[in-house]
Amino acid sequence: MAKLLVVDDEANIRLLYSQELSDEGYQVVTAGSALEAVEKLESDSFDLAVIDIKLKNESGIELLQRIVKERHTIPVILCTAFSCYKDDFSAWLADGYVVKSSDLQELKDEIARVLAKRHVKGR
Amino acid sequence: MDWECCWSRDQIEPENCPYIGEGEEDLLVSQRRRIVEKCVECPRFKNDLARMKGSGYPLSDVLPYILTEFQEQKAQMGAMLSFLNSKTREIKFLREVGLVLQTSLDLDEVLSIAMTAITAGKGFGMNRAFLLMTDRERRHIRGYLGVGPKDYEEAWRTWEDIGRSNFTLRQLARDFQKTKLTSEKVKFHDILNQLTVPLADQGHIFNRALQGKKPILVENALNNPDLDRGLARILGVDTFLVMPLISRNRRIGVIIADNCITHKPITLQDMQSLETFAFPVAFALERASLYERLQEEVAKQKAANLKLREQQELIVKMEKMALVGKITSSIAHSIRNPLMVIGGFARTLLKGSSDDDEKRSYLESIVRETRQLEDVLSEVLDYSESLVPVTDFWDLNELVGKAMGELEEALEQAAVTCRMELAPELPMVRIDYKQISYCLKTITATALSAMEHGGELRIESVQDGDGVLLRISDDGKPLTKTAREALTAPFFQTQELGEGVRLSLCKSILERQGNSLSLISRPGGGNTYSIRLLTRKENI
Repeated sequence: MAKLLVVDDEANIRLLYSQELSDEGYQVVTAGSALEAVEKLESDSFDLAVIDIKLKNESGIELLQRIVKERHTIPVILCTAFSCYKDDFSAWLADGYVVKSSDLQELKDEIARVLAKRHVKGR
Repeated sequence: MDWECCWSRDQIEPENCPYIGEGEEDLLVSQRRRIVEKCVECPRFKNDLARMKGSGYPLSDVLPYILTEFQEQKAQMGAMLSFLNSKTREIKFLREVGLVLQTSLDLDEVLSIAMTAITAGKGFGMNRAFLLMTDRERRHIRGYLGVGPKDYEEAWRTWEDIGRSNFTLRQLARDFQKTKLTSEKVKFHDILNQLTVPLADQGHIFNRALQGKKPILVENALNNPDLDRGLARILGVDTFLVMPLISRNRRIGVIIADNCITHKPITLQDMQSLETFAFPVAFALERASLYERLQEEVAKQKAANLKLREQQELIVKMEKMALVGKITSSIAHSIRNPLMVIGGFARTLLKGSSDDDEKRSYLESIVRETRQLEDVLSEVLDYSESLVPVTDFWDLNELVGKAMGELEEALEQAAVTCRMELAPELPMVRIDYKQISYCLKTITATALSAMEHGGELRIESVQDGDGVLLRISDDGKPLTKTAREALTAPFFQTQELGEGVRLSLCKSILERQGNSLSLISRPGGGNTYSIRLLTRKENI
């Protein structure tokens, strides 16, 4: 069972993600801030992280940068309210990118795609 | 004694004196005036005097002395009268010229009156004149205008035309300004071009005249070892006058005048008259050229003011738009998350409900309406985001690679190869991705336009203290002055539209985000643009 870390500063959204992604058969751990996310990344191992670009005290990009810098080798999917940066983001660093929506199908597809790619690469 | 001359008679007939001409008939009845004006010069009267001397009459020995003295004094009086007449004419002429010079602010009018005055028969009557003026940078004296005939035929034709007309000097000058000013400049173009002299060349006769503030009469220039024969050869005469034009100790220029057609000697009196005339000319020329410059500055200022007003209006508009963008973005963000939660859980509930559940249609409505609202929000967010800069941390090398990839076709068309030397492991820069991308593309397009015949474009990125330096170098022609100025002046001061404005906008965008743009343009060719981007957050 793939283990996911979901980072979002909205409790209700974390709840929604947990519910929906658990239904998909993933083990979901949530974090409400970048700090909490880093702590969890250090104490546990994950197959993938879903990070909101806009977090309260730190941007999701900065968290992503830290993840890359500190050699956590997990793939990352960024979630954002903006659709226009999609091309620029996906061109570097993040493995996936989705526009936040109440319809989580796109996110679920993206998670499956990234995990499959990771499995093929043997990362 | 019978006298040969008619001096002894009160009245005479016209046939009695051959020296009384038409219009002098009153002398026939006035013995006194006839003797004074005619008889003293008459050979018959001299014969009568000689005969009288032989007659032993006592006064006959004295009379010739008185006569000689009288003749000498009469000659002197005549000369003085002619001098006075010429001076009266000169004063009248100077008054006429002075009046125009004092009132005119038009450089061409001043030039026309000055040059006409020197060359017209009604003025100083010189055959030809050249006006040389100091340039704006005050480094050289340059030939500005030449007036006069080029050869005998033209001289004869012109003087005949002027002789027939009854124009005043002012009318002549107006006529000259209207019909001849431009053609005379062209006619003497070759000579004028050769008359440029640096003001620093102290030994040159122009500078000597300006230094001494006195006119110099050059005579026999071709055979005088002390003089530069070059000037005489250019002018084609060996006698000419160099008149300095000085106003309030400022060197305005020089007038060269000569009699290249008639070769009439230039007299001391000519020099003195011209010297008197040179002063108001210099003053008027200075005033007119200052006025012309003032007009240019006023026009520039007006244009700059207009541009400033437009820019201010634009800034106000942009600020308003940015504010609208910020408010919209903030509202949209705060709605988006709750909406996502509502829609998301509605979907969860919908998934868990059976097909015959009567609440299912309500849930479907919630899901549908939420989806619709989310679509509207996406549009609003994309639009509002385009109104405000969104700064974030980005990898500059990635940005460069992507932007240059988009320009690949343009590079190929311009036959330009692109060499990228991007330093690895650069810290991330805090920028608005789209705006910096725009700046990079604009600079690259400007660089390409400088490389008309292709070449190599070099793009380097290096770490520079607390920032990252991005250098774009072309090996094309140096950037135009307008474009260079655009990078030193604030956006609103850019005078002309075109490449300058785009570069100026880039500079403005970069500076607003705490970054900088500078340019080194090498005269021999090649321009280097340096963009310095900050990596620290607190400087924004």
